[in-house]
Amino acid sequence: MDCAALHLQLNNRLPLGVCVLDADYNIKYWNEFFADRTGFNSEQAQGRNLLDIFPAQASYLRKKINSVFVLNNASFSYWEHKPHVFPFSTSRPITGEETLMFQNIEFLPLESEDGAVQSVCLLLQDVTELASYFQAEQALSARLEQEHAELKALNDKLAMAQSQLLQSEKMAAIGQLAAGVAHEINNPIGFISSNLQTMQDYGERLLKLVAFYEKLVGKMGTETSKALQQDMQQRLQFDFVRQDLPELLTESVEGIDRVSAIVKSLKSFSHVDNAEWQSASLVEGLENTLKIAANQLKYKVEIHRDFAADLPEVYCQPMQINQVFLNLLVNASQAMPQGGHLYLRMWSQQDKAYVEIRDTGSGIAPEHLSRLFEPFFTTKPVGSGTGLGLSLSYSIVKKHQGDILVQSEQGVGSRFTIVLPLKPSLDE
Amino acid sequence: MTVPLSEEQRDALQELMNISMGQAANALARLINAKITLSIPKIVLVSAGEFQRIFQSTEHWFTRQSFVGLVKGEVLTLLAKDGTNTIGKLLDYQIPMDEVSQEELLLELANILAGACLNVFSAQLGLNTKLSMPTMFSSQMRQAESYRWISTLLLEVEFQLEATPFDSRVVICLEGQSVDTLISRLNQLLED
Repeated sequence: MDCAALHLQLNNRLPLGVCVLDADYNIKYWNEFFADRTGFNSEQAQGRNLLDIFPAQASYLRKKINSVFVLNNASFSYWEHKPHVFPFSTSRPITGEETLMFQNIEFLPLESEDGAVQSVCLLLQDVTELASYFQAEQALSARLEQEHAELKALNDKLAMAQSQLLQSEKMAAIGQLAAGVAHEINNPIGFISSNLQTMQDYGERLLKLVAFYEKLVGKMGTETSKALQQDMQQRLQFDFVRQDLPELLTESVEGIDRVSAIVKSLKSFSHVDNAEWQSASLVEGLENTLKIAANQLKYKVEIHRDFAADLPEVYCQPMQINQVFLNLLVNASQAMPQGGHLYLRMWSQQDKAYVEIRDTGSGIAPEHLSRLFEPFFTTKPVGSGTGLGLSLSYSIVKKHQGDILVQSEQGVGSRFTIVLPLKPSLDE
Repeated sequence: MTVPLSEEQRDALQELMNISMGQAANALARLINAKITLSIPKIVLVSAGEFQRIFQSTEHWFTRQSFVGLVKGEVLTLLAKDGTNTIGKLLDYQIPMDEVSQEELLLELANILAGACLNVFSAQLGLNTKLSMPTMFSSQMRQAESYRWISTLLLEVEFQLEATPFDSRVVICLEGQSVDTLISRLNQLLED
């Protein structure tokens, strides 16, 4: 076999389309790759104009081929930009998902003996497999990106839920702690309190007895015994003791009363005492509470009522809800030491009742807003507030599956809104 | 590996570059029917760090294209982002271009410039180089330390399309061994 025949055979075996054109786009030669796909063998194709055979691609091919002739420089066509320059069908007609062949084409200058470019060789490479692999990859990466975004959104949501959970967990933990502490100190407080009261009684009796003896000595004693008594009383500073003892005991009794009040709050905070569930009117509850709080409110606060007429009854623990009202009313009144206005509003919407208590008081500092419902958080002077009122209210409302919302502006006032479901679904 | 160029060699190379780049500009001007000005070609030996700095521009697109023959290396082309539309119009692209046709334009442009520069240059020295397909290049990922060479010879020229903001730089980078080949060719030329 001579060299030319060998080249020819090689040409036809190549997995490449080879096509040689002259400057007028006439075909000089093409290999079997083109012949198989067009139906013209090399002899039939010879002399025909490539642009006539592929009219739809003519302008693109012309541009590419011209640039080769002008610049004497190879030109390229990529599947990514022009996937199907020649309308050849896919090399995978059975299993492939694509219908047309993806092609990379090189336009190479071929020089004649004198060095001038007289023909152009088109080298067509079937890159269908590569292209569909690449496209699958891209689809996959797009899907991954989307899934990533979804996951991220989910993550954010989880983080938020977690922080909310943490908040309620914290409240629950403190509630439990409070219940435990309350239980533990309730007994000692009980006997300290009753002992103190007995001691108060005994103290009184002892002082009476001393007074009796003094009188006795005064009337019947000798000068010596009187002097001895005076001397002894001075040494023991008895006048002061006599005066101080009842005061000390009274203070102690008051103190222990305060401690037991705190313990009682703690116990109700943790719902150790179970109040009864029943349908009740919130208006009635609020009015009753206003009566109790009248002592704090009257003379200095003007009350404005705006209650919806058709307010349905709410299934709740009325005493507990009243406690919430009381806390909010007392806080409102304490926020307005110079007097002000108290706006009470009640309405229902769908299956929820709303109670709004708005004051024109000092307002709450923004940095305190987030800690408002934390147990033992108080801005009142030490001794005058337990810091349990609002956290107790919060836990009562939460137990009713409701919510307390706060809006506040310093110097303008605060607005507390209690949201209660008309019929909470109770799982207890 | 790399011998610094002597004064005489540099002059000869400069002269060759001037001729080939002139012809390249000429060919390009004919193709797009517009006037093109070009800078005096620069010949520099650069380190990887200096090379890296060329590709820190945010106002350019980058393409790369390798070539083989008696000398081997890569041609890197910087194309201004400004003015791509103007040149697209001259090359018969639909304006505005989508991302795909813009990339097509950039690669075609890079191929024209790189091909013109390299062909004329290597023909004069009889180096018989062949360019492969160009691809887009982003050097942002690459650190100077990741390049496998210490210094390379750059032949650099700037083309400007008159009356437009478009400009481009073609940088021919020679691989170490090829620099020696180039120098010996130059010496032959100087002896003749």
